[in-house]
Amino acid sequence: MHLSEARVAEPFDKLDSFSTGELNRWWTRRMRSVLKTAAAELPLYADRFARAGFDPAEFRTLDDLQAVPILTKTDVLAAQSRTGSNQIGIECGLGERPGVTLSLSSGTSGTSFISHTPRWRRLQGLSASRAHWWAGLRRGGSLVLSAPAWHSYAAIQPFVAEHFGMRCVVVSGTYLPRFADRIVDAISRFRPKFVTMFLPMVFSILAAARRMGIDGRALFTSVESLVVTGAPITPGMRSHLSVLTGVSRVAEIAGTSENLLSVDCPRAEGLHVVPDTCYAEVLDPQTHRPLADGEPGMMVSTALIAAGSLFIRYDAGDIGIIDHQPCRCGLAAPRIKIFGRWENRFQLGARMMLPYDVQLALEQEVSELNGATCVIGREALSQNRLRLLLIEPEQSASTLLEAARGKLERRFEVPVEIVAVRELPLRFKGVPPILSESEVAAES
Amino acid sequence: MQDLADYPFYRERLASAGELRAWTVADLEEFAAQNPSDPFAGRVLGDSVPKVALQIEATSEPPVWSALDVGEVDRWADVLARMWQRWGLAPGETIAFFDYGSSPLVLLASSSYMAYLKRGAADRLGVTAICNDGVATMAPRMAVIVETVQPAALILRRDLLAPFATALQAASIKVAEYLKWIAVSEPEGTPAREEILRYASVFGVPTYRVLRADAAFLLAGECPDCGCFHLDPAYQAEPLPSSELAVTTTFAQLCPAVRYNIGSAEIASGRCAREPRASRISCI
Repeated sequence: MHLSEARVAEPFDKLDSFSTGELNRWWTRRMRSVLKTAAAELPLYADRFARAGFDPAEFRTLDDLQAVPILTKTDVLAAQSRTGSNQIGIECGLGERPGVTLSLSSGTSGTSFISHTPRWRRLQGLSASRAHWWAGLRRGGSLVLSAPAWHSYAAIQPFVAEHFGMRCVVVSGTYLPRFADRIVDAISRFRPKFVTMFLPMVFSILAAARRMGIDGRALFTSVESLVVTGAPITPGMRSHLSVLTGVSRVAEIAGTSENLLSVDCPRAEGLHVVPDTCYAEVLDPQTHRPLADGEPGMMVSTALIAAGSLFIRYDAGDIGIIDHQPCRCGLAAPRIKIFGRWENRFQLGARMMLPYDVQLALEQEVSELNGATCVIGREALSQNRLRLLLIEPEQSASTLLEAARGKLERRFEVPVEIVAVRELPLRFKGVPPILSESEVAAES
Repeated sequence: MQDLADYPFYRERLASAGELRAWTVADLEEFAAQNPSDPFAGRVLGDSVPKVALQIEATSEPPVWSALDVGEVDRWADVLARMWQRWGLAPGETIAFFDYGSSPLVLLASSSYMAYLKRGAADRLGVTAICNDGVATMAPRMAVIVETVQPAALILRRDLLAPFATALQAASIKVAEYLKWIAVSEPEGTPAREEILRYASVFGVPTYRVLRADAAFLLAGECPDCGCFHLDPAYQAEPLPSSELAVTTTFAQLCPAVRYNIGSAEIASGRCAREPRASRISCI
């Protein structure tokens, strides 16, 4: 059977059965409608479109999107500063019905605000339900809420619980390591089949369970699908999580608060863009032209639900790749993978790299180091060296680390030092953070 | 009406004359320790499948859970909406939260935050809601939120008063220009009056206390006029011989909350002009 003829085994609805051509036509219609709404109702876009000479009435194909200006967090913060308000002229239908909530998009550059209307919640909730369905969620059982109310995911998760008729389990406190024992209690008591969790919290939960005398595999015994979010996972990290928890399906959901949403299908060969949430592009950072499949570049997304804050061609600062080739699962939506943020790139030898590349290299060179928890030393990078502080493996530590050191030196062609430590700051998100020695000392 | 003898927790507390002994979180924890397989500590019938399970923050190891059915979540949110209304929150305004998303004061605000909640308190009043995660390190972000969004009301966890005040001072933000009131809560009981008065003068904004007992689904707000906690009609209070007060929550049917002992308190005599028919609790 040709790949393009693959059929989705359990479609969420008709949209899941679209061919690539059908999906592109559907996307074109949806995009045209979004662009028209933006030009007619949203002052920030009306102004930007006019200045770029873009007329939504002339939008015919998805290639025409190239004429639409790219919006960045800097633009959003500047607009916030200009208006002196959280409303910046990208908000649809705020006055239609009461029930608006605001969520936050934080980062090193500043905090911006996202408006969610009841209409957005309904439409985005259905689309997010599709994403959860792809990740393995099915009707009934319990859903442990995993997002504090400040995050946009909090505006969606309760909808998903209701849509699938699930019991909604609310753990007290917030999603910080010190509350992990409370999450252990929730999982132990309500035995969910599907768990979605911020990746660093999974490690905190496993550590808390160990302290309570509960084996990780026993804790997750009811779980059929563990979905991690908040950080890119390498193949080794995926298998490491599977070993630690005993969960056969570990899936990744990736996205942004500004409505990029993508999720692993059962094949786990890239994350499918959720088509009724957004349209995604990967662009050359200099020319802003689309890159070929598999070439890393700017991840830019356009939200396709014209309700609440609407982000059109939004660059959240992520680096990723896209793959338009048919997937063996049968879904036509292209697959993406986000590797990290531009601000976290560093130079090592002749190459520009991300912490993801280091994690991947470790597990590819020494498979025993799958899921190894480590930190990249900032000072060494400035001297064109790679210094890793790595939690000491339980067995054959010195042999493994020496092997890894030698192989990484050959791979990166720079001096490499790997130091085994017993403790590291709680900053590991599935890929190693870049920290100075003083940060490591202060936080360990 | 439930037959309390059907519920293991209450069965133990029923005297031979049929009178129910009032209870506290400590009683609940004790029952939970003896019955570790029951997350709800004998307060939910075995064949019930609650749609909502809430871990009670004020309970320690093992944490005890409460349960709510679909309509009950809305009735609790109605209590919260009336509390905010008494403090003067009006349609079109914004309410901000600096608390955990799991606090009922946040959860019940919006159907965004809570499953099976048709209309949250903010939805009912036509106000916009925004929440910042309730940890001290997020105080600078809270300062940015209040400066940018300019909410009319703010709900704060008691342990965040100091970090929030420091963050406002560091950013030279004067909240009195737009905040009409601040309300402060903690997981069980009510914050000390002296502390709240001190921070009211720091913020330059009327600051009220919340009486909170999640195990009994109790929320009551301090009245700006009389200083007592006005009890919503959803609750019934009765004095105990020990100079304490017991509260029964009428909307809680799935996981009954009957005769919960809120501690030293009394029902205030006389009437408050702000809400003449309200039952009021004083001297917590």
